Amino acid sequence: MPQITLDQALQKHYARNQRWGFTWAIWVAVLWGAWYVPGTALWFEKPFSDIATDNQAMMLGATAVMTWVHAIAVLMFLLLWNLMLGKVKDYGRTLFRFRKISKWYALASLCGGPMAIFGSYMAMGFIGPVFAAITSLFYPVVGAIIARLWYKEKISSRAAVGMVIIIIGGSVIYAPGLFGEVESSNPNIWLGYLGGLMSAIGWGAEGAVAARAMDVSDPDTGIQCRFTFEVLFWGVIILPMIALFSDLPIADFIVATVTESGAMLWIVLASACHAYSYTAFYKSFSLIGVSRGQAIGNLYAIFALIFIAAFTLQLPEWYFIVGLVFVVAGTFVMFSEPAESVIQLRDHEATT
Amino acid sequence: MKVHKKGYLLIELSKTDSIWDYELVNRALKEYRRHGSIWINTFRVALDELAAAGLINSTDKKLDDGSHVGPEKVLFKYHLTEFGRTRMRETGLL
Repeated sequence: MPQITLDQALQKHYARNQRWGFTWAIWVAVLWGAWYVPGTALWFEKPFSDIATDNQAMMLGATAVMTWVHAIAVLMFLLLWNLMLGKVKDYGRTLFRFRKISKWYALASLCGGPMAIFGSYMAMGFIGPVFAAITSLFYPVVGAIIARLWYKEKISSRAAVGMVIIIIGGSVIYAPGLFGEVESSNPNIWLGYLGGLMSAIGWGAEGAVAARAMDVSDPDTGIQCRFTFEVLFWGVIILPMIALFSDLPIADFIVATVTESGAMLWIVLASACHAYSYTAFYKSFSLIGVSRGQAIGNLYAIFALIFIAAFTLQLPEWYFIVGLVFVVAGTFVMFSEPAESVIQLRDHEATT
Repeated sequence: MKVHKKGYLLIELSKTDSIWDYELVNRALKEYRRHGSIWINTFRVALDELAAAGLINSTDKKLDDGSHVGPEKVLFKYHLTEFGRTRMRETGLL
């Protein structure tokens, strides 16, 4: 005889789904934050450390090479993940349906790869890293707006308030560093603003587009499709174009990168973090929605500083604590939503 | 080539008015020659995702007495929504 009623069992079922959704989203933040350690260390290894920081063209070329090699390593980690889950065949079946399904993952990879990453590097290069970090924090707003307008994702007032509090928390952590970074005399400053906008729109749009594809496909195989396209975009289109239309030694740089053990070690570590952070990212969308998944993912701002402090033994400034209080409060506001709020994430009528 | 697993669940749902999740999961296990609790849970999570996205909805629920998934688990009877049917057409599954 069952010991609980149907209503109690239902409550447990929905609460378990909600908890899994938030757990995946928190893993996004932890692994994304951890990524900053190898992601930053990589720039101190040859061949990247040999590039003069004022050589913008070479920096961008190196970034493109780095991103491609990184994407290949991510794809290998995702293949391992799906091998363990027994989903490799499903990956092939999903990828094969390009015209109807996997084209959305191709679009997601364009938004999150070349658009957002390139935009973020533009923001870093033409204004500064703090500005780039702050503009990236706004991507959940873009994702939530697109998801709402495109396929009517429900955004409860509590989820919206939680999102705003988390963004304020992230901004508190980084904003003081912004003073002195933005120089109005810089004639190329508009390129930095454009880059910041590209990163927020790119990452926000990626979540919304990927969630659209995951309506009919699996998140684990979806993320592998997405990185397959990213590897192709960089390796077949962007890098050959740069090599053809510029004087940058792209081929030499690729060889120099993959034969440098120090650089490859950091790329492999960064890729492991990135692969499983992105897997958790996509898995959270299908359980708690794009707006909640992306907002909780924004906690990476906290984890990045914690991991960097742990490895450099340099404590963050006092205002880190203020930001921490905000983002933890925002997370609790979101998680305090009733479990029933994630049963039906869209406003479609339950038509028969 | 077989259709991917989430697509298969939708196609099977489109062939009937409504179906209990354990019946649907059993069909999927046979189709893909899988077995064990991990795969049962994988298919049930896929159904939860489809329901959350509004492609399917539950028309009935009951408590499992332990003969299908496990004691005190909820069993759902699912139905393909109009939105689900539209999405299937858009993605070439119908």
